[in-house]
Amino acid sequence: MHVSMIELKAALRRCFEASGYFVGNYEDAANMILWLEKHGLNGLGELERAISFIQQDADKSLSTVIYEDNTSAIIDSHGRSALNCIAASVDLAHAKALECGIATVTVHNCHNRMFVLKALTDCGRRGISAAAYWQNGSKVVSEHTVAIKAGDRYPSYSEAITNLAATAGEKQALTIICSSRVDLTTSLQQSKGNFNSRYISALQVAINKEYSVDHGIDIDETLWAQINKIGEGILVENTERSRMGAGGS
Amino acid sequence: MTTPAAINAALKGDNALPLRPINQVMNLERLGAMHQSRLSFMRTLVRRIMRERWQIEPARFELDAQGYGTVIYEIKAPHGLFSFVLFSSYLASEDRNDRVIATQWDLTMALVDGQVDEIYLEKLRQNVPKQEAGRVDSRVFVLSRANRSARNFDYVVNQLAKGEQPDVAKIAQVGYLYRTTAVYGSGKLGMADWEKVSTRYPDFARPFAAEMFVCLMLRNFSLLQVEHIAKHKSPDSFLPMQPKVKRFFGIGNSTGLGMAPYLINHPILINQWVEMRELALARIRVLGGIDQHICEQFKELMGRCYVHTAETVTEDEWQTGNNQQVLLDMDALKARVAVPFNSWDELLRWSEEHCSLQGQEMIISMMLELYPELVDDLEDYHTAEEFLDLDPLMPVQQLKEIIEQRYNWALAIDFNADGARETFWYRSEEKMEPRLGGTELEEGRKKQMALGVGYAVRKCYDQLCEYIAAYPEHTTARFMVARPKLRGIVRRIQTMNKCVYGDIQANLLDRNVLPMHLLRAKLAFFGVGKFDPRSRLWVRNTMFQGAPLLEDIGKPFNDDWFMPLAPTLDEPSLNASKSEAPAQ
Repeated sequence: MHVSMIELKAALRRCFEASGYFVGNYEDAANMILWLEKHGLNGLGELERAISFIQQDADKSLSTVIYEDNTSAIIDSHGRSALNCIAASVDLAHAKALECGIATVTVHNCHNRMFVLKALTDCGRRGISAAAYWQNGSKVVSEHTVAIKAGDRYPSYSEAITNLAATAGEKQALTIICSSRVDLTTSLQQSKGNFNSRYISALQVAINKEYSVDHGIDIDETLWAQINKIGEGILVENTERSRMGAGGS
Repeated sequence: MTTPAAINAALKGDNALPLRPINQVMNLERLGAMHQSRLSFMRTLVRRIMRERWQIEPARFELDAQGYGTVIYEIKAPHGLFSFVLFSSYLASEDRNDRVIATQWDLTMALVDGQVDEIYLEKLRQNVPKQEAGRVDSRVFVLSRANRSARNFDYVVNQLAKGEQPDVAKIAQVGYLYRTTAVYGSGKLGMADWEKVSTRYPDFARPFAAEMFVCLMLRNFSLLQVEHIAKHKSPDSFLPMQPKVKRFFGIGNSTGLGMAPYLINHPILINQWVEMRELALARIRVLGGIDQHICEQFKELMGRCYVHTAETVTEDEWQTGNNQQVLLDMDALKARVAVPFNSWDELLRWSEEHCSLQGQEMIISMMLELYPELVDDLEDYHTAEEFLDLDPLMPVQQLKEIIEQRYNWALAIDFNADGARETFWYRSEEKMEPRLGGTELEEGRKKQMALGVGYAVRKCYDQLCEYIAAYPEHTTARFMVARPKLRGIVRRIQTMNKCVYGDIQANLLDRNVLPMHLLRAKLAFFGVGKFDPRSRLWVRNTMFQGAPLLEDIGKPFNDDWFMPLAPTLDEPSLNASKSEAPAQ
């Protein structure tokens, strides 16, 4: 099915609002998914994996800062999706970088970390260079990195399958680096055991975006129906009395 | 030609022009008292079309004798070729409904990139008449529908068929043949996103330019269609409409609550529109010379505004009272300017003491008419990048001070007072139509839309004060980790603090809130006239009344269709001859 970007964004906003996301968070979540999809980085695929769990986050603890100094922090997200907590972690790294030149924030127990790309891209647009690294998977471990230079609009992204063994500590962790002084670039090392590696340049990300702007977005009908079904949770039942509230004749 | 740097320097800093104060301008009642001006989007669109001499011709004209069928206009603009596609269908009068929830219309329309071939036309035919129930692709960038005016359409057809002109006094009461009930753009129903329109189609790269263009084309089609039907009805007696009568026809519009959330959800854009209008006014206050010619023009405009207001018909008691007051204001203004005045500042101050809000804002629109050289270049600055960004480094103490300065209006509201939080805004299951609820619909309250900016600021402020007591040295980023529920309002506060005017100052949750003011503010930026409220929640109005006709493109144009007046008919012997009927 074909939808425009704004239709997808509006449907996602309703979906996350109905899932108990806060004002500000539901816009962030919608934007994070749309951003990935619009830039050719499979945001809808990521959403498909996350969508069954998004309503569970309402019952989880809010993120807590478990360590902090001037240049670093460690945040525990208590198993939340990056969709509703990662922007605040990136903001903290951003603020520390502005104060100290460079800063690191490590987030633990955070799912769907691919969605960090939108938040990091916002840093770049606002003059802060940013990078992130994370590993994913319990049987087969993949690794991922993203970076954007200060003032740029598009990041580069790399991923690879590794032969690493999963460790409990690494499974849901994400490291964010921000700098107001240094332009960060990242790419995965050609380490032994890495295969199926993929590097997407900032230029390619920009080209992907232009295609989406011209043609809109294709979405699986089942997923589209699922998003809209959840989003119906914010709609109020239609009654004769409620019709009066539109003021029409 | 102006530049962004020049605009910025005029708005902020030690060389800024004297802008009207924020609390005055962003007051909701004043925003709801605004009128069309030469910066309104209809005016800027028409200026562009006339200046660039767009070529607009029917490429397909397949209407039967009753005016039903398909029409395609091709538009050759400087940066591209576009097609305006119309489907005209029979609609029983009992099925005619202006509400969003309607499912059938007299006319449905689409504005499309490029030429439309048979295959694509068929695709449009399968979807455009269904409107919300159909789907289109990203070649389409506006979709709209319209209903005939029950009071005017058949009457005008019959008059022309008889070889007579419509009675201008009747047209002054209802100045249109069709009323559009929705104009969709910006990616709805599968259409091109605004990002595409603004970057790929420079001819329409201003807010709502494409939507306004569709309304203008609808207006021109409506005139063509009545003549077509009348001609087929009585070929021997038919006479075309006089051009000046045609120009007095606009297009009707019904606007309901759906437009209100837009103003709250796009605060940066609305601020930008306000900034440009206020900057135009500030330029005139400082740079607008007053000589005999200007005084004469001003008096002529005063007279025109008086008659235009007197010709505005509404059954609404509140609006009738407002219009009567504007007439009194114009009388008072006439007496005031009979005594020479030396500066616009002086006149503005006088108006603030002696005129109603609608009268004051009318005077401002008149002032803008007098100085195109100080005003018109601002039309290129109505777009804005809408990022509500968090400033993570801002100390929490500074955030508190900003709230106290920029949102003092919100902190002054007692949200615990009776009725202060009674109203809520929600989306209905029925086409997601925005509606207002109150105590009669408590079960809907938990699903309300986040439009209560003032109340959100109040809650944020209270929590921030508590937080500062414990962590006075923290940054906003740290505050956000601890209080993620406030993320939306904090970044709104920080972002709007960077704007000159900021948020609309009103408690939209109040029992007595008048959404009409929000609707009217946006419609004034669009450039509509003849406001006719049908309740506190929706309003009829007229678009493009007085605007040039398609056949006027390429002819001399003085951009003087502000506050149009009913024309005087030519003598019968001077009526347009049959040879002047439009090509069909």
